[in-house]
Amino acid sequence: MTFTLTLSGADLLLLLPEMLLTVWLCVVLTMDFAMPRLPKDRLAYLSVAGLAGVLANLVWFDLAGIGGTLFAHMFVVDRLAVFFKIFIVGTTILVILASVDYVRRFRFFKGEYYFLVLMSALGMMFMASANDLLSVFITLEFSTFGFYVLVAYLRDDVASNEAGLKFFILGVFAAGLLAYGISLVYGETGKLVFSDIASPSATPGLVIGFLLIFAALGFKIGAVPFHSWIPDTYHGAPTPVTAFLSIAPKGAAFAILIRMFFVSLAAFKPAWVLLLVGASILSMTYGNIVAIAQRNIKRLLAYSGIAQIGNILIGLAAGTKMGGDAILFYLLTYLFANLGAFAIVIAVGNLIRSDEIEDYNGLNRRSPFLAFAMLVFLLSLAGVPPLAGFIGKLYIFLAAIDEGLYTLIAVGLINIVISMYYYLVVVKKMYINEPTDPSPLTISPPMKVVVYAGLAGTLFLGIYPQPAINWVVAATLMFSNLAGPAAAAPTLVLPIGG
Amino acid sequence: MVPLSYYVILSVIVFVTGVVGVLIRRNIIIILLSVELMLNATNINFVAYSYYFQNITGQVFVFFALTVAAAEVAVGLAIIIALYRSKSSINVDEFQLLKW
Repeated sequence: MTFTLTLSGADLLLLLPEMLLTVWLCVVLTMDFAMPRLPKDRLAYLSVAGLAGVLANLVWFDLAGIGGTLFAHMFVVDRLAVFFKIFIVGTTILVILASVDYVRRFRFFKGEYYFLVLMSALGMMFMASANDLLSVFITLEFSTFGFYVLVAYLRDDVASNEAGLKFFILGVFAAGLLAYGISLVYGETGKLVFSDIASPSATPGLVIGFLLIFAALGFKIGAVPFHSWIPDTYHGAPTPVTAFLSIAPKGAAFAILIRMFFVSLAAFKPAWVLLLVGASILSMTYGNIVAIAQRNIKRLLAYSGIAQIGNILIGLAAGTKMGGDAILFYLLTYLFANLGAFAIVIAVGNLIRSDEIEDYNGLNRRSPFLAFAMLVFLLSLAGVPPLAGFIGKLYIFLAAIDEGLYTLIAVGLINIVISMYYYLVVVKKMYINEPTDPSPLTISPPMKVVVYAGLAGTLFLGIYPQPAINWVVAATLMFSNLAGPAAAAPTLVLPIGG
Repeated sequence: MVPLSYYVILSVIVFVTGVVGVLIRRNIIIILLSVELMLNATNINFVAYSYYFQNITGQVFVFFALTVAAAEVAVGLAIIIALYRSKSSINVDEFQLLKW
């Protein structure tokens, strides 16, 4: 068997964003070592500059429609991959800006923090392009290794170490399940590329293999019953890492889930719809009910995140092109609202060194801006019009209605009511309760940028969603063959806003 | 010649041993070793199937799985050392600060 590897300039172009980021993270690491007196904040801005370049490159890919596959279809660049890469790079930029103040508190290894964040972002960019089970395994592990270290980053803090341990054990366990599942699928089909493993018959090996792969990806997105690491890891990890962990890997894992379910498993849709409906109902209900009892804002957002993942799984369960669009749009709304909420938690945590919900009492008196921003983000997460979360939920429910998943929609609507309760408890504490310490809070410029970006995104997607809808509809064009009844109309005209 | 099914049965036994080890053992090092067993079961499967299909893809996967396993141990041991410094123990039951 001869093996030739030829890469033309056009092939390398497809890898340009990843190569840029690779070079840039080496630059950041070298600068950290070579210039010990350089203030570490500069490394943050240097990282953001590099990521901005990568973002510009990706936007160019998207506008010019550059695409193709590399390395025997292992690596694919299409509109879907570019969408998720923009999502990941955008999240990373905001997370790094939100980290600047927090990293000043570290006693050691301030510079390496930015390197590890960039490294995880690189891994997730590759995840978005993974088109084969081998690249799924490697890229998933690649991005997770950075997170293992980041979660346990506060060496002197036992909670951070413990969070790192729990994340690590469950993470490697999930990796074992993933690898074994892949080996079974390989055993049944002899192939690993997503489009090649679309087997016509469901043999036991294939079923068990895909269930194991789904379990591993379920760990990654934190869907019930694979959620057990989420609350503890989110609670113990440094807050900017929690924010990063709650958004970017979810997006990257959904890129893989969409490709797996919509390409490889399209023929078995009746079988996996039940699986996804179950996971979705469990995630929404469990996340929202347990969130009510939380006293710590990071744990509250962790459980709310589990519930949000349940909502996104509705789109996957719909299994149509419109379901895919809705997932992408929902992820965008989730990015702005959740990252914004975490930015407030980071800002308040930096100032008062506490993440207890009690300490948000009277936040409105201490900083009207932070309280108002938190109000907007929580209402968007709950799905109140005219904010982004409302359009996201509406879009996902419409996709489910087309497929007749009425039970799922009923459970989803009940859950919106439940979630409203615990979000509003936080709002009540911020606006009505008296502060124990009325001294005003001030926030730094980079943090302000993150909060303003979150507010702008949440309001823009809520009031004028049409450009974003057009973008996500274009990103999933390759799934048009999964046409449900509604897919005949290419653009969705929502009753409000657009 | 050993039939394919023997290899698959062996790999299932090794994999289940690994899963049970992760779930019931309390020592972190043993848990880490159990995860290695799970990955090695994968490798047995891949090599056996690769030979059966006369297809090189499976063997390529084994090399990557070995690399990932090695990297996992490096990161895992670093976390375990950090924990050992603060708690002088590597028993998972000792780590109950956060509600599990």
